[in-house]
Amino acid sequence: MASADKPINTDVPEKDVFALHFLQSLSNLRRQNTFDSPEKTNDRVKKIKKAAYVSMARAAGGTNRLWSRALLRRAAKENNKVVRFPRRKKRVTCLRRRSNRRDPVEEEEAERLRNLVPGGGGMGTSKLMEETAHYIKCLSMQVKVMQCLVDGLAPK
Amino acid sequence: MNSSLLTPSSSSSSPHHLQSPATFDHDDFLQNFFSSAPWPSSALDDDAPPPTSDSSLAGFHHHDVDSRNQITMIPLSHHNPNDAVDVNALYSGFSAGSLPFHFPQGSGGGVMKQSHTQTQSQATASTTTGGTAATPQTKPKVRARRGQATDPHSIAERLRRERIAERMKSLQELVPNGNKTDKASMLDEIIDYVKFLQLQVKVILYLSLVLSMSRLGGAASVSSQISEDAGGSNENTSGENQTAAKMTEHQVAKLMEEDMGSAMQYLQGKGLCLMPISLATTISTATCPSRNPLISAVKEAGVPLSPNAVTTPLVNVKGASVVTVKDASSVSKP
Repeated sequence: MASADKPINTDVPEKDVFALHFLQSLSNLRRQNTFDSPEKTNDRVKKIKKAAYVSMARAAGGTNRLWSRALLRRAAKENNKVVRFPRRKKRVTCLRRRSNRRDPVEEEEAERLRNLVPGGGGMGTSKLMEETAHYIKCLSMQVKVMQCLVDGLAPK
Repeated sequence: MNSSLLTPSSSSSSPHHLQSPATFDHDDFLQNFFSSAPWPSSALDDDAPPPTSDSSLAGFHHHDVDSRNQITMIPLSHHNPNDAVDVNALYSGFSAGSLPFHFPQGSGGGVMKQSHTQTQSQATASTTTGGTAATPQTKPKVRARRGQATDPHSIAERLRRERIAERMKSLQELVPNGNKTDKASMLDEIIDYVKFLQLQVKVILYLSLVLSMSRLGGAASVSSQISEDAGGSNENTSGENQTAAKMTEHQVAKLMEEDMGSAMQYLQGKGLCLMPISLATTISTATCPSRNPLISAVKEAGVPLSPNAVTTPLVNVKGASVVTVKDASSVSKP
């Protein structure tokens, strides 16, 4: 097993990247269909919610991050689209699986985290922590972006 | 936009978690422990260690190892609560407890001895420095065992522990209220924070829809949609606790469709209020500049019912600033 620990990279792109992706996805939605009827608010809400998450996943790291990958895959499954991701670092994952990576003392908590973070089921605990850190950063960035947008759009 | 209002109190959830492992018929075991080993309570300055010992003891006992060895090891790791090696000590304590997992194939007596000496060596390693390459100088018996002990399994295990510890540290900086040294409560905080952020995204999304739709006149349907969706997601995530934030969210959504005034009153009853953004930012920078409060200032669009509520945000301030929030509520009352 590799003994050296590479420095963890949890950089998150700037706010404008998130804003750009979000606005792009919204404008895509707008182009796709006209939604003014109140009966379809159900679909509209769901679509917007999905667009928000997908844009966040794309802005945050595309397919470089496990959680964003899982999010995109989940979203694409609803659309009945098949998404393919390039496999990378296959050998390292095989090596890691040999060691006993789950520890029942902390597994309870890790289980709860796995339920929260997308794609958490297939990750070891240390990888899960890393993904959680990145996920938290991206979520807070997304929240800030959306707040600014709504603030800007709110009428005086 | 409205943010999620109340952060769920982790203090209510953590005792639940910490005591559930200890409840499986180990009361007498714990009694023996507390009577036999003098608990270094003077050295400990936070209330986390006893629950930590409970959970760690429960975890150790779970491995069915000779309990006395485990008992002598724990006070060692808890002797330095303020050191930088504290987290390492806890982790090596945990890892030493889990080492017996790796030797189930060995002979019965050999297993005990190996794990015993290993835990001792682990303990000494943890108390001296971060325990990667520590060599105990006292017993030659331990040295002979360590040749077998440094097989890839224990090394990998140790490495894994360190990795997790490292990442926990970086997570600690991200999460507000990350000053807890206890791993379990820190994980609780992290989980709650992730839930809170996800909720925030959802709430901002939904309430912006509410506001936009209220202009068009379809507010009632959207609010019902919000409640239904929030209820559905609650069942999905975890049936254990519907946090106060979600209940508040439901209530506020329901109230908002009827009357802004009643919604505001409800919020004030909860200890929150609507206040102008400028006031919120002033308060936040004045009261807790060093801490990292969970402030989510939200702006609401002009709602026809209350003329003074134009551009008033919804603020949730955690910790010490709650008092000032209540004081300022009189200012913003229409």
